[in-house]
Amino acid sequence: MEASDVSPVQRRTFLMVMAAAVGGVLTAAAAWPLLRFLSPVGAGDAAGKVEIAREQVPVGAVHFFQHRGRPAVVLQQTAGQFIALSAVCTHLGCVISWEAAKGEFLCPCHGGRFSSEGQVLGGPPPSPLESLPVVVDGGLLIIG
Amino acid sequence: MSAVKLVIDFLDVRFGVRDLFAKELSGYLLPKKVNAWYTLGAVLLALFGLQIATGILLLVYYVPHVDQAYASVQFIMNEIPYGWLMRMLHAVGANVIVIALLLHMLSVLFMASYKGRREFTWLSGFILFNLAMGLCLTGYLLPWSQLSFWATTVATDAPGAIPVVGELAVEFLRGGPTVDNQTLGRFFALHVVGMPLLLLGLIGFHLFCVKRRGISPPPFGAEFKNAELLPMFEHEEHPGGIPFFPNYVVKDAAMICFFLALQLAIVFYAPTLFFPASAFEPADPFVTPPGIKPEWYFLWAYQTLKIFPNELIGLGVQGAFMTFLALLPFIDRGPERRPAKRPLFVTCYVLGILVFVAISVWGHYS
Repeated sequence: MEASDVSPVQRRTFLMVMAAAVGGVLTAAAAWPLLRFLSPVGAGDAAGKVEIAREQVPVGAVHFFQHRGRPAVVLQQTAGQFIALSAVCTHLGCVISWEAAKGEFLCPCHGGRFSSEGQVLGGPPPSPLESLPVVVDGGLLIIG
Repeated sequence: MSAVKLVIDFLDVRFGVRDLFAKELSGYLLPKKVNAWYTLGAVLLALFGLQIATGILLLVYYVPHVDQAYASVQFIMNEIPYGWLMRMLHAVGANVIVIALLLHMLSVLFMASYKGRREFTWLSGFILFNLAMGLCLTGYLLPWSQLSFWATTVATDAPGAIPVVGELAVEFLRGGPTVDNQTLGRFFALHVVGMPLLLLGLIGFHLFCVKRRGISPPPFGAEFKNAELLPMFEHEEHPGGIPFFPNYVVKDAAMICFFLALQLAIVFYAPTLFFPASAFEPADPFVTPPGIKPEWYFLWAYQTLKIFPNELIGLGVQGAFMTFLALLPFIDRGPERRPAKRPLFVTCYVLGILVFVAISVWGHYS
């Protein structure tokens, strides 16, 4: 066998670098499909607009629905005046409920209180509920 | 490199990893003439690992209900990014595992590696083979296609030939008189929890047997001598053999790559190889598709049942053959392992393979 200019240590280092490079490429090749496979799909409608029949929301009452995959609520405060809000509490993400007697929203998790317009009245929520635009189109409410 | 050394030092003072590495990997010597057939165990471990990984991923979207199972599989195939890849890897992987299992068992048989007090290594391996078949059968139903439904109907109908308890056995298997949501629930539970747990436990026991007793050397070459058994436990050592790491690990890795390449080649270039047209139609309990056949590895059993005039005799023959195979190390007790000096065994071995292939081909075209 002929003497080589490359020492066993150099050869070993080369092999380790090559093995690490091939391993890295293969891991990336496997990780990408895995990441895409587990990425969320079908989160709500593409346009982000929801249509609700007007008669589903009587005066002084609320109607809960899904908007872009998240809970939302629409309220008819007085005749013909509609307010749509995200129903997700800004504190820790629980879903609010409507206190008809008090005319306000309550988060049952930690007692956060919101006005019918979504403003914070008390408790730990740091910010108001997200407001959603409402358009009245004949017998339909178009929200979002 | 110093960072690697620091990590190894950290682990070494806690777990003695250098000592473990020296004893179990670089210092663990395999027989000098060990051949490529010995890599099939590692190949199977890698393939089972891939099945578990892809199986868990499929569980994210699969719905085990007769009204939604087929649609959920179509959703995985057509809507989820790379869903087709995960599903095809899983479905094709099952077939590749059966090929690797058959090769593993055939090589062990040919080299008589079950001899030398290795009965439990063989027996646990044989049960593992049957468990893998069970996983294939239960997994086959889950897509709830016409193929799934009718292949399962035929397969679960076979125990009905057993006198007295046959009818009850069929109903128990199906969870009702016909294949239905109850069957899907049972098969799903068995496929994703029951059988994999058993499989992992048995793989552990199988590896323990292999490691504890020592690797059986290949019975070839002028230097080979049949082992003389002492009247006590003995770990078979191989002084002067080749180190498990890095020498044999490289061979294992190469063979694993070969099998993965085979699996990927089928997934990319022949994805419908194991899927007849009836696999792409939702199950219809009122319409039996013509010429429904089981998977290729069950064709021999399917055809055997048809050959005999009575289904019970067919089942009996299958049962007797499988029992004989399971108990082979307890029956074949002679010390001779060299195939050249076992002409009767080699003749039966070759004829057995030919009969298996012939009956399977017959079953396919019948």
